[in-house]
Amino acid sequence: MVPPVQVSPLIKLGRYSALFLGVAYGAKRYSYLKPRAEEERRMAAEEKKKQDERKRMERELAEAQDDSILK
Amino acid sequence: MARFVRNLAEKAPALVNAAVTYSKPRLATFWHYAKVELVPPTPDEIPTAIQSLEKIVKSAQTGSFKQLTVKEALLNGLVATEVWMWFYVGEIIGKRGLIGYNV
Repeated sequence: MVPPVQVSPLIKLGRYSALFLGVAYGAKRYSYLKPRAEEERRMAAEEKKKQDERKRMERELAEAQDDSILK
Repeated sequence: MARFVRNLAEKAPALVNAAVTYSKPRLATFWHYAKVELVPPTPDEIPTAIQSLEKIVKSAQTGSFKQLTVKEALLNGLVATEVWMWFYVGEIIGKRGLIGYNV
């Protein structure tokens, strides 16, 4: 077996600091994006409700105005 | 479905045993290398690391990095890329998801 290579301390320091920086960045960005996504979902649900309401009103209006003897 | 589950329950110990016997020597080799190559830096290695960093900065200032061979430069680029990839691994751990932020 090849003997394990002695890694330079700079590389070790670089690797583990990059790892910790990555964890911190990922966690920070997640906590930043989470409330925004929830807000977005809430707004989308409200919009959808309004749309459905509007469509219902339109449909009822159309039905009421529909001139047909086949009622 | 029920027959599959029963089959699985009967064969599970044998499968687990086979997996353990397969992975044991490979885990041993991995541990043998990881113990030396993947350990975090000890506090008294940090001054050496800072010195290496200063050497790199000095070589960039004096322009002596142009004396590197292309092969050396490529290897350094590869090592730098590997170090940067650890950042993305850390980000995966921090956002607790493999692909994308599951908000």
